[in-house]
Amino acid sequence: MTKTTIPIGPQHPLLKEPISLNIDISGEDVLGGSLRIGYVHRGIERLAQERTYVQNVHLIERICGICSHVHTTTYCYAVESLLGVEIPVRAQYIRALMCELERIHSHLLWFGILAKHVGLEMVFMHSWHNREIVLDIMEALSGGRVIHAANQIGGVRFDLDAEREAMVRNMLHKLEEQVGGVLDGIVHETSIRARTRGVAPITAEQIRQYCVVGPVARASGVDVDMRRDDPLPPYDRLDFNVITHQDGDAWARTMVRVEETRESLKLCEMILDQMPGGPVTTRVSRKVPAGETVVRSEAPRGEVFYYLRSVGSDHPARLKIRTPTLAALSLIPVQLSEIQVADIPVVLAGIDLCIACADR
Amino acid sequence: MNEETMLSKLKTVAGSEVVRLATVRNEVVFSIPVEKWVDVVSALVEDWGIYHLSAITLQQREESPEEIEVMYHFWHGLGVTFRLAVPVDRPELPSIIAIIPGADFYEREAAEMFGIVFKGREETPPLLLPDDWDQGPPLRRKETDD
Amino acid sequence: MLENLLYRSYRWAQKNSLWVLPFNTGGCNGCDIEILDLLTPRYDVERMGILAEATPRHADVLLCTGPVTLQTREAIWQIYMQMPSPKWVAAVGSCSTTGGVFASSSTVLGGVDKLLPVDLYIPGCPVRPEAIIAGLVKLQEKIAQGGENE
Repeated sequence: MTKTTIPIGPQHPLLKEPISLNIDISGEDVLGGSLRIGYVHRGIERLAQERTYVQNVHLIERICGICSHVHTTTYCYAVESLLGVEIPVRAQYIRALMCELERIHSHLLWFGILAKHVGLEMVFMHSWHNREIVLDIMEALSGGRVIHAANQIGGVRFDLDAEREAMVRNMLHKLEEQVGGVLDGIVHETSIRARTRGVAPITAEQIRQYCVVGPVARASGVDVDMRRDDPLPPYDRLDFNVITHQDGDAWARTMVRVEETRESLKLCEMILDQMPGGPVTTRVSRKVPAGETVVRSEAPRGEVFYYLRSVGSDHPARLKIRTPTLAALSLIPVQLSEIQVADIPVVLAGIDLCIACADR
Repeated sequence: MNEETMLSKLKTVAGSEVVRLATVRNEVVFSIPVEKWVDVVSALVEDWGIYHLSAITLQQREESPEEIEVMYHFWHGLGVTFRLAVPVDRPELPSIIAIIPGADFYEREAAEMFGIVFKGREETPPLLLPDDWDQGPPLRRKETDD
Repeated sequence: MLENLLYRSYRWAQKNSLWVLPFNTGGCNGCDIEILDLLTPRYDVERMGILAEATPRHADVLLCTGPVTLQTREAIWQIYMQMPSPKWVAAVGSCSTTGGVFASSSTVLGGVDKLLPVDLYIPGCPVRPEAIIAGLVKLQEKIAQGGENE
C-alpha cells in the first residue's frame, strides 16, 4: 500500500490545545510521524525578566491552567531560597494540600479525556462530574476553581479555620467515596482495557534515553518521583508510595494514574492531620539578594525544573522553566511507529500532553 | 556518588580545567571546557550511569556579556550542573543527541533562543518560535539592556 | 405576515441549537477546561441545545480562548473561513478579549478581535462556567433579534 500523510491540527478534536502532527500511514498501520509545537509559545521567560518577582507570581500561574499551583509553588520556593527565608510550617502544608488536590483534579481530567478518546463518554461524564467536588474544595479554600492565586512569596494567601477545615474534610470523604467508584470502574472496565492493553509499549531504556519523567516513566518501571527524591517541605515528613508498573503500555500508564489518585487522596487526609497551627505568611523584602538556585518539584505530569538567578534588584535576571511535557513530546515520533490508526488517540492521550506547559 | 568522587572522576576525563563552582540548593556545579564536553557526557552516560538531563539553561551574565553561559542540568540522586561558556561571536557547541536523544528539543530551543550552532547534528529546526520569526534570537542580551 | 412568522421561527431554531467549536489559540487551558466543564452534568449546556463540535464545518459559534499567537494566526483564519454562515465568534476569557497577561509579549498578537469580528466578549481569568452560560444566553438573545455576521 502507498504511504499517505495525514496532517492533524492545529485545530483537531483530539486535544484541546493546538499542536500540529503529520502522521504517515499505510492502510491501517502507522509508519511514523512528526510534530510541530510552538502554537502556544507566549515567551514566558522573556516576560518574566520584564516584571518584578511579585508580578511574576501572577504570570507564572498562567503558564498552564491545569498545573498552575505547582508552577507557582516551585517559583515561590526558588525566590524564598534566594531570599534566605523559610516559610511557616503551616504554609508549607497548605501548599502541599493544594498540590495534591491539583494532582487529583488533573488525573480525573485525564481519565475523562482518555475515556472520550476511547469512545466511552459515560466515564468522561462521571469523572468530570466528580472532579467538580475537587474544584469545590479548591474554591472553598482559595476562591478560585482552576487558577487559585494560593501562593505568594513568603507563604500562602489564605488560612483555614476550624469550620472550613471540617467542611474540607467532609468534602474529601465524599470525594473518596465517589472517586473510588470511578477508579474501580476504570480498572474493571473491559473496553478501556481492550483499547489500551499492549498499545505502544515504552521500555525503560527508551525512558532513560529520552529523559522522560512522571507517570509515563513510572509506568515503564523507572522509579523516579521528585516528591520523594528531592522533596520540597513538607514532603519529607509525609509517608506515601511511589507507584510504578512494569509493562510500559497505555494500560500501565492508566493504572499508574489510578493508583496515584488514590495515594493523593490519602495524602490530603495526612496533610490535614499533620498541619500545625501558626501563621501562614512571613514578611519578605522586595529586592532579592544576588544568587542563583535550582528547584525541582513533581507536577501531575512529572518533574518541573526551575532555574532562577537574581542580581540584587526586584526583577529576575534569568528564569528558566522546563516542564515535564517537553520531555514526553520527544517520545511521540517513537511511539507512532508501531501502532494502528485507531490507537493514535490512545497514544496521544496516554502521554497526558499539556502543550501550554511545554511551549510556555 | 558524592561531589568529591565526581570531581576527581571528571578531572581524569576532562583534564585539570574542571572546577567545582558552587553548591546551591541541592545542586553541585562543575565547570567544563567546551572541547572536552562530549567526552564528559559519554563518561556520564555510559560509565557512571548519570543519564537524566533535566534542562539546558543558557544566559548571558551582566559581568561577562561577551560570552554565553550554557548549563546542562542532570539529576542523579542529587542535582549536578555542568557549566560551559561559548563566545558570543562564535556560539558553537557540540551536539549530544547521539548520546542522549532526549536532548534534542532542548538543543533546538537553545539554538532558536540564543543563536547557538550545534555541531554534529543534521539540522536544528526551530521548536517554539513562529515560522515567520525574523527578529533574531529573542533571549540574547540587547544593547539596550541595563 | 407569514414571512415574519417563518423568519422568527428560523431565528428561534437557530438560537436554540447553537453548535460551538472551542479553539485554543494560544492560551493556558484554564478557560478551555471550563468550557469543557459546560458539557458535564453539573452545568449541562445540552439542555440549551448547545453541543461541542469537532469540525468547523458543523459549527455555528467559534469559542476562542487564549491570546492569538503569531503561529496560530493562519489557523484561526482558516477555521473561520471554513465555518458556514451564519456564524458568530465569542472571545472567552481575558486573554482572548485583550491579550490578557501576555499582551506585551513579542510572539503574541493580542485578542482575537485583531483578526476576526467578535460578537461576544466574556471576561474572566479564567472564566467561570456560569459566566460562559450567561454569555451564551446573551448571544442567543442577540441572534433572536437578528444580529449576525454573514
